[in-house]
Amino acid sequence: MKKGFSILILMLVLSLAFTAVTAAQDEDLQELDVFISVALPDYSGSSIVGDIIREDTGIKLNREYLVGDLEQKVGLMIASQDYPDMLVAAHFTDKFVEAGALIPLEDLIEEHAPNIKKYYANHLDALTKEDGHIYYLPQLAIPFEPAERRYPAVGFFISKRVLEANDYPIIKSMDQYFQLIEDYQNENPEYNEQNTIGYTTLFDSWRRFATTNGPMHLMGYPNEGGFVPVKEGGEYVVRPYYGSNVEKYYYGKLNEMYNKGVMDQEAFVSNFDQYLEKLSSGRVLGTHNQYWQIQQAQEVLIDEHPDNIMIPFPVTYDPIVEEHVREKPYVQTTQGMGITVDAEDPVAAIKYLDYLVKEETQHLLQWGIEGEHYQVDEDGMFYRTEEQLAMFQDPAWVRDEFGRHYYYNAFPSLTGLDSNGNSYMPIRQPSAIYANSSDAEKEVMDAYGVKSFTGLYNKPFEDRKYFPLWTITLPTNSEAQIESTRMTDALVQHIPTLVMDSTDKFETNWDAYTEQINGLMDAQIEEYQKQIDWRMENW
Amino acid sequence: MKRSENTFWQKLWKQKALVLMSLPFIIYVIIFKYIPLWGWLMAFQNYWPGQSFFNQTWVGLENFRLLLTDPIFYDVLRNTLAMSLIKLISGMFFSIILALALNEVRWTKFKKLTQTISYLPHFISWVVGANLVMNALSTDGGIINEVLMGLNIIDSPIMFMGMPELFWGIIGASHVWKTVGFGAILYLASIVSISPSLYEAAVIDGASRLQRIRYITLPALKPVIIILLIINVGRLMNMGFEQIYLLSNGRVIEYSRIFRIFELDYGLKMMRYSFATTAGIFRSLVSVVLVFSANKIAKMMGEERLI
Repeated sequence: MKKGFSILILMLVLSLAFTAVTAAQDEDLQELDVFISVALPDYSGSSIVGDIIREDTGIKLNREYLVGDLEQKVGLMIASQDYPDMLVAAHFTDKFVEAGALIPLEDLIEEHAPNIKKYYANHLDALTKEDGHIYYLPQLAIPFEPAERRYPAVGFFISKRVLEANDYPIIKSMDQYFQLIEDYQNENPEYNEQNTIGYTTLFDSWRRFATTNGPMHLMGYPNEGGFVPVKEGGEYVVRPYYGSNVEKYYYGKLNEMYNKGVMDQEAFVSNFDQYLEKLSSGRVLGTHNQYWQIQQAQEVLIDEHPDNIMIPFPVTYDPIVEEHVREKPYVQTTQGMGITVDAEDPVAAIKYLDYLVKEETQHLLQWGIEGEHYQVDEDGMFYRTEEQLAMFQDPAWVRDEFGRHYYYNAFPSLTGLDSNGNSYMPIRQPSAIYANSSDAEKEVMDAYGVKSFTGLYNKPFEDRKYFPLWTITLPTNSEAQIESTRMTDALVQHIPTLVMDSTDKFETNWDAYTEQINGLMDAQIEEYQKQIDWRMENW
Repeated sequence: MKRSENTFWQKLWKQKALVLMSLPFIIYVIIFKYIPLWGWLMAFQNYWPGQSFFNQTWVGLENFRLLLTDPIFYDVLRNTLAMSLIKLISGMFFSIILALALNEVRWTKFKKLTQTISYLPHFISWVVGANLVMNALSTDGGIINEVLMGLNIIDSPIMFMGMPELFWGIIGASHVWKTVGFGAILYLASIVSISPSLYEAAVIDGASRLQRIRYITLPALKPVIIILLIINVGRLMNMGFEQIYLLSNGRVIEYSRIFRIFELDYGLKMMRYSFATTAGIFRSLVSVVLVFSANKIAKMMGEERLI
């Protein structure tokens, strides 16, 4: 009995000693807690780039990724006033500034962050708030020239099958777009033993802008948000497109298509997963969206149904309209990573961020280790061999083994071209966009004589300093904010009816809709106008 | 005076074990249910986090005015009460029917099987449950539409989830599906405790099965039904957030937005903490009124009471 007891004690002591040893290994690493408003699986603790960064900085990051609804999470964090050392909360970051949760960074940057100062120089004005302070650093700063992309940000997408059957027409108007889809669907009612869906749209919670932004792009504007600043005599005047004739035409068209059975009958009650599933199956001929929302489906299509990849067009309501749907690359200067008032060592935090935005670190994160993940040619240009490309084609490997996401997504980072003319982002390396496209993508690009799908679009608008309007946040508890919530409600309620009701009721439904939203825009327009004017003056 | 004091302390001493046993619960209730009520003061402020209590702006009853004049306030109130009532009544009704029916079944294997099948849905969460309901009602191969079309009752699928006038019905039906089996267990337990001699006497007197249910089982269940009714009436304003939140969609929002969703959308999500608090207070007040009225009615009917 006594012996058994002493053995037990011995085991306890030993296990304690072991835990002490493992703890000691991590002891010399300083820890930083960070909340990141993107959804990612938890970091495994080790990865190719992660180990190098940990070695260099001596800092261990404890990341909390978003689970569930960001809006609620932010509301709760602010209400409880319990913050990690650093945080980024997408377009709600400003709420933390309002709540006094973030510390000013400009002095820290001046003293401890030469790289941030250098690479963020273009953006520091726009990042300075009305009170003269900088509170956060956005991701994807553009220190030099912007780089071209393979896909434009937004468009009316149409299946390659339809284009091929019509000898690759140039699609300009919405009528033409739907005519192509309707005719093709009539001839090919089935795909893989499932019904062909002519057109579908996404209306799931906050992602519903995929549907409601349609009229803005039909008017030839890039993504501005809920209102469009129209250039009138050198001034930018905020105008609504909700309730406009273009919007009426857009929903009228969708209504017609819905009643003809061209449009997906379940579009308005499907969630994002169901939407992606439909797109990935190859049975959808057209949809309107921002590319990043359908990218996952497109990747599946490239692998499994290369004939059905979705090709974007800058469709307008009338071919006469001069479109500028393609947007000028901009930095989202109204969100980013900030250091909170609860941070014990703000200097360590800013130094860490400064380390991340160093050009070498960015090359490590985005390209990898020279010789292992990329090569350099005699002109100093980066490229990847077939084998290296294949490695990076596996998203799970890039995330889990390589570890890019855990130091790059939502962290301060660089994009565009670097000081030598290499793209920070490998897929935007000028020599690589066309070369690294799939065969199906190349086929379409060849047919239209372009080297990227962005080539199907006109040049962006003239330099608009305020761009874009949607990064403006309406002040909490203001009339404008309440109007905006009510307007969202009105859209959610009326738009499905507009599209799905019978065509002879469209006029009545339209009147009911406009009657409700017309009273819900004045305070919003006023607030947006005020902030656009402020940006034009101060940025 | 002194005498009564003595009896109080004497009584306390006599019941010390009971008092000690209830103490942790009293402390629990004070810490978790009473101390947070301090936050109700937010309803009278224009609360903004990050500022100390004394620096907040006091606005009096402004938040209550905003709440009561909100254009969708009465829709929200209507939805909350209507859906809760539908759920309360249909849930109880079907649970009682199931319990009565199961009690009459003499083939034990069948009885056990039915019970297991009927209470299984209770153990899945609403996240899963809502998806099952949505799939069953889907127009794209949903079982309900398939069956209706197979029987030639309809020629094209009906979009059940997109029809505002059906939403309350769907909530009621899915609530019954999920809770009927588990609810029945409670009533079954009460039925089992009824003395068999009553039934024997009734059989000798020639009472039929239905008469035995009508004159013995139901009256014996009455106190349990009344107590459960009072408890549930108090929860009318709080019932079924998850279920309704998960099943609702934009098309039916006019009929699906209940009080707690309203507080979330127009309060917490917009960081109008004061407004959310005000709505919460209103909800609690209504609940208190409902419980006391239910209790009063029960008393008038000469039944058992909760309070």
